Amino acid sequence: MIVVTTDLVPGREITETIGLVRGNTVRSRHLMRTIAAGFRQLVGGEVDEYTKLLAETREQALDRMVAEARAHGADAVVGVRFATSEISSAAGEFLVYGTAVKLAPKR
Amino acid sequence: MSAEEPEPSADQLLAMAYADGELDGATRREFETRLGREPALVRAVAEHQRIAVLARSAAGPEPADFEWKRLAAEPLQRGGLGLGWTLLVAGFLALCAWSGWQVATSDLELAPKLALAAVGLGVLLIGGFTLRARLRTLHLDPYRDIQR
Repeated sequence: MIVVTTDLVPGREITETIGLVRGNTVRSRHLMRTIAAGFRQLVGGEVDEYTKLLAETREQALDRMVAEARAHGADAVVGVRFATSEISSAAGEFLVYGTAVKLAPKR
Repeated sequence: MSAEEPEPSADQLLAMAYADGELDGATRREFETRLGREPALVRAVAEHQRIAVLARSAAGPEPADFEWKRLAAEPLQRGGLGLGWTLLVAGFLALCAWSGWQVATSDLELAPKLALAAVGLGVLLIGGFTLRARLRTLHLDPYRDIQR
């Protein structure tokens, strides 16, 4: 599955546009990690706990989008965009969306 | 795969193909039906998803990563943080126990005492069963080892 942020895939042509596919998830770290993150915010620098939280969220949302594209028989997802929002102070939402398409080698 | 490792079974190959999104139509639906009644298959799929996610998110370490690892392994750092967490948790539990005792031995009437006991028990039950559900599904969550 090709997943790109561009509208086209070099060397291929889009033969069919399947439509919008998306994946989202909301995840949080457990209470101890949230407390540890609070202490890290007092001293500055990277808040490792939140970096990990958003990385987990991003990967799961991406996988859900790809799974939806596969279920529709797509070869690629083009024009992929990421969006985030805060659900609560200790939970992050990632939304990934794009356009599922079928590809063929460029003639 | 090394020469010592056994060949994957037909079910393991199916689980790999499913995790990679390579099963189509009827084969996928049939496999998903089996997932509903075969926990071993669910675990096999989760394991392949975990490996795939880790492989995709693998990135070279930054210089600070080495320093964080070295710091985390230092006895002083480990001991200090461990002691801090132990004191925090023990103090919190002691505070909860003391609050419970204060309410139980207070001059409050029976009705508010029972209401407070119900609230405390409710919190414990919800917390306990939420934790139970998380622990039961933890090994099927391929995303918890992602670092960045």
